[in-house]
Amino acid sequence: MKTNSKDLVSILIGVIGFIIPFFLNIPGLSEAGHVALSIFIIAALFWMLEPVPIYATSIMVILLQVFFLSKQGVLFPEVTAEYSPDSYTEFMGTLANPIIILFLGGFVLADAAVKYDLDKNLTRILLKPFGSNPKFIILGLMVVTALLSAFMSNTATTAMMMTVILPIIAKTEASDPLRIGIALSIPFAANIGGIATPIGTPPNAVVIGALSNQGIDIAFTEWMILAGPLVVVVLFFTWLVILRMFKPETDTIPTDFEGKFQKNASAILVYVIFGATVLLWVTESLHGIGSSIIALIPVTVLALTGILDKDGIRQLPWEVLWLVAGGISLGISMESTGLAEWIITNIEWSIFSPVFMIIVFSLMAIVMSNFLSNTVSATLLIPLALSLATSGAAGEGFSLVLISLVIGVSASLAMMLPISTPPNAIAISTGTVKAKHMTRSGFVVGIFGLLMVTLYALFYWPIILN
Amino acid sequence: MDALVKDLENFEKIFPVETANDTTEAMNVIDYILDHGHKIGLVLCDHVLPGKNGVDLLIELQKDEATAKSKKVLVTGQAGHEDTILAINKADLDHYVAKPWTEQELQEVVRDQLTDYVIENEKNLLAYMQILDAEKLSEEMRKHKMTDH
Amino acid sequence: MNNHQGISWLNDTQAILKFIHKLILELPELKDRLMDLNEGDLLFSQGDPLEHMYLILEGNITLTRTQPDESEVKLITLGPGSFAGLIAFTTGEPTLTSGRISQKGQALKMRPQQFEQYLNDHPRLKHPLQQLMLNNMIRRYKSNLRLQTRTHLLSKELNKERNDLKKAYAQLEQTHQMLVHQEKMATLGELVSGFAHEVNNPASALMRAAENLIEIYSKFESSHYSYKLFKLGLNAQPVDSNTQRERMLMIEKRYPWIHERSSVRKLAHMSDEALKLIDENRKKGEMDTLINHYEAGKMIHNIRIASNRIVNLVKSLKSYSRQDQNKEEYADIRDGIQDTILVLSNRLKFIDLDLKLHDIPRTCANVGDLNQVWTNIIVNACDAMKDQGALRISTESNDESILVRISDSGPGIPENILPRIFEPNFTTKNQGAEFGLGLGLAISSEIIGQAGGEIDVTNKTGGGAEFSISIPIRDDC
Repeated sequence: MKTNSKDLVSILIGVIGFIIPFFLNIPGLSEAGHVALSIFIIAALFWMLEPVPIYATSIMVILLQVFFLSKQGVLFPEVTAEYSPDSYTEFMGTLANPIIILFLGGFVLADAAVKYDLDKNLTRILLKPFGSNPKFIILGLMVVTALLSAFMSNTATTAMMMTVILPIIAKTEASDPLRIGIALSIPFAANIGGIATPIGTPPNAVVIGALSNQGIDIAFTEWMILAGPLVVVVLFFTWLVILRMFKPETDTIPTDFEGKFQKNASAILVYVIFGATVLLWVTESLHGIGSSIIALIPVTVLALTGILDKDGIRQLPWEVLWLVAGGISLGISMESTGLAEWIITNIEWSIFSPVFMIIVFSLMAIVMSNFLSNTVSATLLIPLALSLATSGAAGEGFSLVLISLVIGVSASLAMMLPISTPPNAIAISTGTVKAKHMTRSGFVVGIFGLLMVTLYALFYWPIILN
Repeated sequence: MDALVKDLENFEKIFPVETANDTTEAMNVIDYILDHGHKIGLVLCDHVLPGKNGVDLLIELQKDEATAKSKKVLVTGQAGHEDTILAINKADLDHYVAKPWTEQELQEVVRDQLTDYVIENEKNLLAYMQILDAEKLSEEMRKHKMTDH
Repeated sequence: MNNHQGISWLNDTQAILKFIHKLILELPELKDRLMDLNEGDLLFSQGDPLEHMYLILEGNITLTRTQPDESEVKLITLGPGSFAGLIAFTTGEPTLTSGRISQKGQALKMRPQQFEQYLNDHPRLKHPLQQLMLNNMIRRYKSNLRLQTRTHLLSKELNKERNDLKKAYAQLEQTHQMLVHQEKMATLGELVSGFAHEVNNPASALMRAAENLIEIYSKFESSHYSYKLFKLGLNAQPVDSNTQRERMLMIEKRYPWIHERSSVRKLAHMSDEALKLIDENRKKGEMDTLINHYEAGKMIHNIRIASNRIVNLVKSLKSYSRQDQNKEEYADIRDGIQDTILVLSNRLKFIDLDLKLHDIPRTCANVGDLNQVWTNIIVNACDAMKDQGALRISTESNDESILVRISDSGPGIPENILPRIFEPNFTTKNQGAEFGLGLGLAISSEIIGQAGGEIDVTNKTGGGAEFSISIPIRDDC
């Protein structure tokens, strides 16, 4: 384990933060709440300072909760007036929460697609009609990226698109801002596109997981209807921003998109399964089978046919699943111990208008996820929002779903820094775009995103949800 | 050798270059590098040298675990058939550059070899995107290495 | 019965012929059988079935045999008392020979049946004819014996001549190869000469340009630090990689803000004096610019050295090959040895060279040829030592001759090969990349021989071979 002094200090701070509440007696907070606070503090500090990998923190959260907060744990074996302890299976169970399974299905599908170059070929086929005008090429790139990252991991999509754009960039003049535009369009589109479906990006999972714990299930299609239009609008706006800020100096780019779909039996099977699964997902309202259940189908079929083999299973990004599980688990404890409520009740929320709250939470989500992992930002904020909604402290019209959506969507709008998301980091690493370019354009997109989220939350989403 | 070093200047931002005049000195330099906790990504070697020749050196490096994974390239005009075959079979030779070489040719070979080395041995590929083959690294990231969080 | 001198009546052909003549006069049938023999007539042709037999009474007939290649071999000339066509007559087979009259005369021509008849009718004929036939057979037999003996002798002579021819041919072949070799060398020499001429021009241009550059630079203010740095670079000494590494560590400590490793390396090559200049002027000029002034000087220095080397190589090459004249000159052959060493410098890269070229008088010699000899011996030595070891060349003289010794630290020459080493076509290199014609030392030996000198080789006591070449001192050219 490679640790340096900065990490050691961070760990120390975290541990101290964990210990402190044990010695405090905060009025209005149950004993369990104190424990939850300890866990919250160490989790937040570890996630923010990252002395250890964030998935490690997540699994630590589950351990601490099982150990300290569960019925089978050391502190709360009995139900009390203040706190009725969850069974340890609640916390551990987050590792197999339906949303986790849904994501697992998504990962398996995505890996199979990558294995048989489905993503690559699809990209090339879809890009062809966009011609050779730089403006439309960028649009094409963004549309395709967004489309793919809605179903695959944003990062893998970005890495794949790099192989597409690097040759294009190589053919453009070094001084042409077009290069910057192209290089930026990919991570932005990837981040935005991920919002479109439940499996597009992990923060979405945190949202759905938290809501389902409250008994609210959002279907695959429902999410798409809610998020889709917003994605389209923001994507389009981003395209315009990029064109405006990084005006192309050339009129044409010679493009050469050749896509050759693999035709062997396994590849065909993958195409079929992929298509079938997506179809089943979007038609959930017709057949009524939950998307998580559907998600098991591709996993099973691909495993049975050997396309998903032992190595393939090992190479799945289990750490992302742990990350989400930890986030959901933390949410559970914050809720059930009353910690979230306590945090909320210290502020007189009812004086604030719904608009204000939406803006505040959205802004907080955007700002936090620019500096932290998107998933972590969602994880930290959603329980607060939930609490706000359930306690009614914020008044009527403060819908649970609404605010969760706001946070979840906003958490994916972090485009300003290289460290904000892995796609951003990949784009910066090519050297074609400098941090200042990213910050300037990311800022504009962020502001616009904030605006859109607010508008949607006020006008569009309530219609769909009711 | 000065010409060779000059051609490789661009890589020095991330991959420092060390030189030696014969195989004994080379072994010393390699030990020096390894002792300081660094890894050797690529060895470029002439064949005709005083004392032990280049191919023998590369074979030795292949046998040693610490340098077995390093990429090995012969740069020479004077290796005969037999020696080259020996190098390919016993030293796992990765490439052969014939003298005289052009700067571009050499840089391409070095870029290719270092990219392969980095893909095979390093976890974080982002740091190399600017100096090495970005497309190949991206493809690798797409297939294996990077996830959302 | 007296058998002392043989059977006299058998040997007396004349007597028998006389008797037959008498008989012919008496017997008209016999007379009919007479025929004239005209010179040049063809009595019978080889391969013909013979219906008649001829008894030569007067004149000669020459029997010939036609060979398959149409040439005619004269077999025997038969005179009076001989039967022609005897064998065909007695065996009934076609004649083995052709018979042509070589001296006119007369013959009795008989058919077989007639012959029988005569014999039966005239018993008096029987005896003489039978005697004649026997005579003929005996004569033929003797002739046969003679022929056989002659054939045998001829065969022996032929064999001997054939062997002699073989030897002569082999020698011719060797000489031919040597000539070809010489021819190749001559052609090569021409190419080299042409090349040398061509290269000379650009090489000189390079040198001039380098000198001009230096002059231009010197026009800048000579006290300006940039020129000083340039001059220091111009006189830079090479730095080996160990020292380079040490100095690089020192430079990194001294200038910790420099991140470019190549800059650190360049600074490491500078002398302390140059570094001092840089320190003094760092404010006035950016680090990179300062380094570049020094580098400029260093680069021009490199150009100078390199172009100098080219010019020297060309000079040595031309001198070595002596292509301009292929004759003797009055020279110090040590110069040739030096030229040879320079031309072979690539081969001698890792060899320890020990030169003890003591003063020797000038002499008349074909320097180009002698250079071939040195080349040959030195290259052989390098091969034997596998390009690693020590080579020692020495020259000395006495009143009469110059002695050149070339010895190596190789494995030496096996004793059994030693005496044959100067033979043509003798080579130990016949495999793979080391193919040799075996002519090198033979030609060298020839060259030295032609110069009136001697070449010899021994194995030294400490190991390795030593070639000793002695050349008589002459002043007659």
